[in-house]
Amino acid sequence: MEILMEAFRSLGKDKVRTFLSMLGIVIGVIAVIIAIAIGAGTTQNVTARISSLGSNVIIVTPGFSGGFGGRAASVLTSVLQETDVQNIQNMAPDVGTVTPILQKSFNILYQATNTVATVFGAYPDAFSILDLPLLSGRLITQQDEQNYANVAVIGNTIATTLFGNQDPVGQTVYVTAGNIKVAFTIIGELQETGGKLTFNPDNMLMIPYTTASARLIQLNGGVSQILASAKSANTALDAVSEINNILYMRLQNSNQYRIISQNQILSTISQTTDVLTLLLASIAAISMIVGGIGIMNIMLVSVTERTKEIGVKMAMGATRRRILGEFLVESMFITIVAGAIGVGFSFLIAMIVTYLASGLGLTVIITWPSIALSFGVSVAIGLFFGLYPAYMASKKSPVEALRYE
Amino acid sequence: MALLELRNVKKIYDMGRDIQVEALKGVSFSIEEGSYTAIMGHSGSGKSTLLQIMGCLDRATDGDIIINGTAVKNMNDFQLARFRNKTIGFVFQSFNLIGNLSALENIELPMIYAGVPRAERRKKSMELLKTVGLEEPAERGHHRPNQLSGGQQQRVAIARALANDPAVILADEPTGNLAVNQWRRILDIFKKLNESGKTIIIVTHDPLVGEEATRTIILEDGSIVNDERIR
Repeated sequence: MEILMEAFRSLGKDKVRTFLSMLGIVIGVIAVIIAIAIGAGTTQNVTARISSLGSNVIIVTPGFSGGFGGRAASVLTSVLQETDVQNIQNMAPDVGTVTPILQKSFNILYQATNTVATVFGAYPDAFSILDLPLLSGRLITQQDEQNYANVAVIGNTIATTLFGNQDPVGQTVYVTAGNIKVAFTIIGELQETGGKLTFNPDNMLMIPYTTASARLIQLNGGVSQILASAKSANTALDAVSEINNILYMRLQNSNQYRIISQNQILSTISQTTDVLTLLLASIAAISMIVGGIGIMNIMLVSVTERTKEIGVKMAMGATRRRILGEFLVESMFITIVAGAIGVGFSFLIAMIVTYLASGLGLTVIITWPSIALSFGVSVAIGLFFGLYPAYMASKKSPVEALRYE
Repeated sequence: MALLELRNVKKIYDMGRDIQVEALKGVSFSIEEGSYTAIMGHSGSGKSTLLQIMGCLDRATDGDIIINGTAVKNMNDFQLARFRNKTIGFVFQSFNLIGNLSALENIELPMIYAGVPRAERRKKSMELLKTVGLEEPAERGHHRPNQLSGGQQQRVAIARALANDPAVILADEPTGNLAVNQWRRILDIFKKLNESGKTIIIVTHDPLVGEEATRTIILEDGSIVNDERIR
């Protein structure tokens, strides 16, 4: 107890020096906590966006082989077939629902207003797989599917573009491309959803699959993508491998298709952000070590300055262990207080960043492990870098220390 | 029985390059309990070295030192520290109070090292402040050394030396840094302490200080040249 009070006193004697020696650790702690907080915030943002897709979603897209890139390849190559969808439906026990998708960009015309949107033809199950909630009207039904009905559910963004504040339900739009011009009756409008992984429902016109394949997107039995859902989160990986087996059996080339699952994307992204967080935190940790060296420097100066005091204390009966303890407590006091100040400032900075950057989608989440880690490391630094100066102090000869002026 | 006994104590300083300085050339004497001894000599006579060795701050190169029935020679650093703490009270020429501790806290320092509980420490240090005549005004105990005069500082230092009821007080030129009026007061305190039974050894080059003692040991060039009992 006395040893603590004494450390407090001697540090209080030169406040500027004590403050400056704390600064390195304070900055280091802040840097580590904020780096990890940004990492955690980003992970949470991305995870939330991906999770919004609905759990257990599996998407099969054509591969990028043959020189075609991304979207062009998915429209032009007929790698995936309707028969694949049937095979998946029949032979993959862990797949719940599956639907072929035909999608392509078209001009959408309403009266004199014109916009470009993705026409998305799929079975009614697509709405539940992608978890798309209605704003008004109704969804596409099995009946519409069987009747090749010219009905459409409209995404939020294009609804606003074409209809403004007017209710689109019941209106007729024209889907045009070249000399094709097909009329669709809007039966429902979706709520705003934001991006759903590879899809953007806000900018889609969703129609029955049969209608799309008969009137708009003829791929001779080919499909743009296949959308499926696993029966449960536990069986998602099994579902993926079943789909993979079915496709590989027919295509004999795993480069021709890609299977994207939510789990797989989540783990890829969390790995990436983990690596980035680790990188940021290690750079920040270096500043803590530099701060530790600064403390060692200050403590060495302090030991030299107080040589006489050490001699007097030894003459009064202080053991070497006691002198070692006194200096060690001082350096640890510096780092503990600096660590606490750093933690405090981290919360402050996190609040400010959250306030200023709320529009930029930057989220800062301070995690308890990061606080424990950086605080623990700063205490360890006090111990490690304080040990040598304290040892130097304790090793002084009482006679020589007393003679020091 | 002698409180402190030195038998043929030698101290040789190794100055490097084969140069050795023999500061003490085999000194023997014994100090009785309750005595008041002045060790005198010019600077360089070896009197400070002798004090350091008697105070267990330094080790003799050769010879035996027996204090309070204990041979110091074979003690390790830890035992020496304990010994300094409990058996010896130091008073220095330049007071050597710890600057960031108050007068009372300075007096408590040896008791902290001895593990005396807080309340007891405070009580004892108040008493000691009274012993050296600094009890009034009450706030003085809370003053820092730089708020006290030289004489007051030295009195606090004497109180500190007495904290653990040591068997012997070792004072190294205790009046060397003081004005004449303060000086008298310090010597009076030593005298009073001696009268109440404390063993006191003062190292000084000042004959006036030496006169106070009941025994004078005069050192010259590392050897005792005179040892006389005045009273």
